[in-house]
Amino acid sequence: MTVDGQARPEAADALAQELRRRALALFGRSLHIRTVDTGSCAVCESEIRLLSAPHYDLHRLGFFFTPAPRHADLLMVTGPAIRAADNLLLKAFHATPDPKAVIAVGACALGGVYGEDELVHGSVDQVVPVDVYVPGCPPSPLALLQGLLVAVGRLEERVASLSLDLDSDRRAAADGRPR
Amino acid sequence: MAFWFYRGLRKGIVTTRYPREVDPWTRDLPTPPAFRSSRLTRALADRLVAACPSEAIRREGEELVVDLGRCTGCGRCLAVGGEAVAASGEFLLATAERSSLVKRVPIGGDREARG
Repeated sequence: MTVDGQARPEAADALAQELRRRALALFGRSLHIRTVDTGSCAVCESEIRLLSAPHYDLHRLGFFFTPAPRHADLLMVTGPAIRAADNLLLKAFHATPDPKAVIAVGACALGGVYGEDELVHGSVDQVVPVDVYVPGCPPSPLALLQGLLVAVGRLEERVASLSLDLDSDRRAAADGRPR
Repeated sequence: MAFWFYRGLRKGIVTTRYPREVDPWTRDLPTPPAFRSSRLTRALADRLVAACPSEAIRREGEELVVDLGRCTGCGRCLAVGGEAVAASGEFLLATAERSSLVKRVPIGGDREARG
């Protein structure tokens, strides 16, 4: 983006981020979700369906599923973005009114299982902009709930500070951090 | 199911308490691997890379690069890695930044063997 003929990507980016945050905060405690399947094996769908089961009960958190993208605030996209589904994914994306958010659900949608070739894009963010990534094969319903709460800014993400090195964890603990 | 029903009858609660607390059964979920960097050698790292079916693990010089977004939690690296690899137990991995799912683990086993 250019402002006064000068490229100011950082400032514009910060502004866009702030706008986006405020737009998502608008959804507050009521948000409608449309799921889009771009060629998934349907296990992600079965976990998504579990969200409306009594135990997870996502309605208590103010989330609802809607059958049409025109009524949706958020798209939950599963599958590796097969090229045959480009049309339906883009149609659903453009039919969703602004402000909107996109959650990529599962290892396929994040580029894990299928590489890019003539049949698949390999990951959803090749086709539509993705706001929140939810890893897992399939992601547990609790992981999906966390993704939804992160998307509307009601929960802090925790993976950024996660270390996969068990030895560095132990060293950090031995260095006298509060136990 | 019976437990939830019983708790629901007893306390009037039938749902999970997430996000206030995480359900205890999630301990049994398959989760991405975590590594003991002091036990990782380059040879073992290469075997881990070969074992990973979803190309979530790759080696860049003296670092193991693990993409949690690609990990399917299949556990093949746990079978290959022995004591150097353990399940991380982390499954709440949602993030707005794709790059924060890519983790780097130093390969420290060779250095300690030499020194």
